[in-house]
Amino acid sequence: MTLVGGVLLAAGILLYVLEPVLSGRSALLYDGEDQHDESAARRRVALAALRDLEYDRATGKVDGEDYERLRAELSREALLRLGPEAVVAESPAARASQALEDEIATIRRALREGLQCAGCRRLNEFGAKYCGKCGTRLHASRAAVAAHGEDGERP
Amino acid sequence: MTVLGETALWTALPIALWGTAVSFAGGRTGRSELVLSGERTAYAVTFLLLLASVGIVAAFVGGRYEYWYVANYSNRELDTYFKVAGLWAGQRGSLVFWTLLLSAFASIAVFQNRARNREFMPYAAGVLLAILSFLLVVLLFAGVNPFERLDFTPANGRGLNPQLQNYWMTIHPPTLYLGFTAFAVPFAFAVSALLANRLDSRWIAVARRWILLSWFFLTLGIVFGMRWAYEELGWGGYWFWDPVENASLLPWLTATAFLHSIQIQENRGMLKVWNMGLVAATFLLTIFATFLTRSGLIESVHSFAENLKIAYIFLGFMGATAAFCAVLIVHRLPSLGSESRIQSFLSRESAFLFNNLLLVGIAFAVMWGTLYPLITEGVFGQKINVGPPYYNRVNLPIGLILLALMGIGPVIAWRRASRRNLRKNFLLPCAAAAAVLAVLWLTGVRHGTALATFVVSAFVMTTVATEFWKGTRARARIAGEGHLRALRGLVRRNRRRWGGYVVHAGVVILFTGVAGSAFDVAQVHEMAPGETAAIRSAFGHEYRLTYESLSHSRPRASDDVPENDWRWTALLTVRKDGEHVAAMRPERRYYPVMEESSTEVGIRSSLLEDLYVIPREVDFDSGTERASFEFKVLPLVPWIWFGGVVVAFGTLVGLWPAAGAHSGVRAPGGRRRAPQSAPSGAAGRAA
Repeated sequence: MTLVGGVLLAAGILLYVLEPVLSGRSALLYDGEDQHDESAARRRVALAALRDLEYDRATGKVDGEDYERLRAELSREALLRLGPEAVVAESPAARASQALEDEIATIRRALREGLQCAGCRRLNEFGAKYCGKCGTRLHASRAAVAAHGEDGERP
Repeated sequence: MTVLGETALWTALPIALWGTAVSFAGGRTGRSELVLSGERTAYAVTFLLLLASVGIVAAFVGGRYEYWYVANYSNRELDTYFKVAGLWAGQRGSLVFWTLLLSAFASIAVFQNRARNREFMPYAAGVLLAILSFLLVVLLFAGVNPFERLDFTPANGRGLNPQLQNYWMTIHPPTLYLGFTAFAVPFAFAVSALLANRLDSRWIAVARRWILLSWFFLTLGIVFGMRWAYEELGWGGYWFWDPVENASLLPWLTATAFLHSIQIQENRGMLKVWNMGLVAATFLLTIFATFLTRSGLIESVHSFAENLKIAYIFLGFMGATAAFCAVLIVHRLPSLGSESRIQSFLSRESAFLFNNLLLVGIAFAVMWGTLYPLITEGVFGQKINVGPPYYNRVNLPIGLILLALMGIGPVIAWRRASRRNLRKNFLLPCAAAAAVLAVLWLTGVRHGTALATFVVSAFVMTTVATEFWKGTRARARIAGEGHLRALRGLVRRNRRRWGGYVVHAGVVILFTGVAGSAFDVAQVHEMAPGETAAIRSAFGHEYRLTYESLSHSRPRASDDVPENDWRWTALLTVRKDGEHVAAMRPERRYYPVMEESSTEVGIRSSLLEDLYVIPREVDFDSGTERASFEFKVLPLVPWIWFGGVVVAFGTLVGLWPAAGAHSGVRAPGGRRRAPQSAPSGAAGRAA
């Protein structure tokens, strides 16, 4: 009985393993989106580095001249890494990068150029509570910026 | 069932060899049916090894003492759960268990990547199956077959080593094995990337989560082992720089280095050769751990010293693997060039690089100490062991610098940081460290290493807390969120970074606990029932222990099964600063079948310290019931276990899939296509 069980087991396993070769059933050899993957990854690295810089600035690790110099450096690298294929690609990865880019732009605008007043559209300095032109309280426009740029998880 | 298990083990080898051959051939020729056959082999080998393991467990539970392995590692009196754990109690079974776990991880890796990272898969599967084939050859032909039969059937087995009869025996080895075996997967992907010449960032994105998983299990396994030693070995310590302890620490050190250095590769495109070297070294060190534990070449409390043949086989395998990796890396050097350079000494990449050098430095020191007996025997013909003083002297200063780097690294910006910003950011952590130094000095603490550890720990903890606070505040300000929501969002946006900070906090707590050993207090008392001894802790508490009585018992599993051990249990009542706080029952045990005795210590834990009672000798027969106890008060030991929990929690935070990570799209043919590597890739870093 045990012998029969052992033989059946070995035969079953052998059949399972050899079946693809006997029947010609195949596995995927390439992943279709692999071709774009490296450029997409590099693009994300470049953009994430820019966002890290903004984070470092917001938490006081970088400021002033250092910030300006590093930002120029990273932007230059990001542009170099953004090949035309990465811009054209409409893959989920490209959309993810676009969302990241939008977010960076929003944060940068909020940090560097100030918040836009809901009443007079003036861009105020970051941290300002009232608009410097018309005196409107900036709470509403800050929420609008937040809703636009920070409204959820990264896709 | 046992015969079926034996058949399965024999069947697994040709199947694994076939899988290795067709995987490599499929990768080389592009014949996809061979690749699929190779991948199916991984599942088949896992199934067969599962059957073999069940066969071994069935032999243990069924008391099949005609098998050499069962007869040598169990007896009728043993509890069932120790019989099940017999699978990894000795050299032979633990090799089967090791191979089973490796095959299970190989299957998971194959299944996980059935529709993604396809270029890597033929070679990755081939490498994993080649390792499995090697282990199966060892199992079947190196004289360690767990199904080997004796010429006769003994009436009972020899029993299990008393030190292994502890519940940690069922937890610690499997956890550590999970850590060791999981590392074969990233190694396979690294070799696959080299073979396929796909040396961009893809393989790192694939391998990183596996490395973190392996690191998680290795860390837990090491901490569990420390706890086991603390509870069972009965000397009040948890780490002895035993060769096998060292063997588990070595891959942990290099894996830790790798987890940091890949960030430099991801961010700056640097250290590609170094990272390849670290992956290969870590894998070889996991094999080295197997070799050390199972060869008996170096004596250790863990070694299963059975035969030396296996040692030479493992040495040969390690040498061949190292040579193969070296040739591959050299061959691919043109594709492994750095894309940028370190711009400034004051930069995060520079701190990471320094951290790598220190971790690898400790690994070398530990390796040297572990192999020193072998080297001296080879050169001078006499084994000379180096003990804890060597390891402590070399590793403590390096460990302290590493600890400090955990506080420095996160505060420094990538690329270059200005001195002015550093001064600003380090002001608060330095002030906290100075405050701790002042308080400790004023309270009379003068132990140099302990003081340095506490001060550096305060520095790091303040840095970590400040990072969390600044990040939360910045996010709350930008997103207009409440602080709790901002903190949650912050962590969810970059689990790796914030999980890493939690791990750092856990390591600091653990180190602080270890530094507490500088203030251990110990006393030995010979006592008669009714007598009281007093001991004062470093925190100033006075413990008064009254020896109440001694009892003797011979617990039986059932009427048919005789007792496994005889127990002499002392009852001690404990008063802390005059208040009754506990009754402790330390034991001496005698195992009649094995003719060995053991100590079951009494431990009473509080937030700040452990009271540890070791019954050294008991005199039951003369009727006096006199006993000799060693009492210890061990400050901050509970922090070590708590630190381990925090480290594990932080690693889980880092491991947790990012939101939407599983929402793949269907590939042609109805297969589920994986999402692009965004969540696990570089984009996962940004806060």
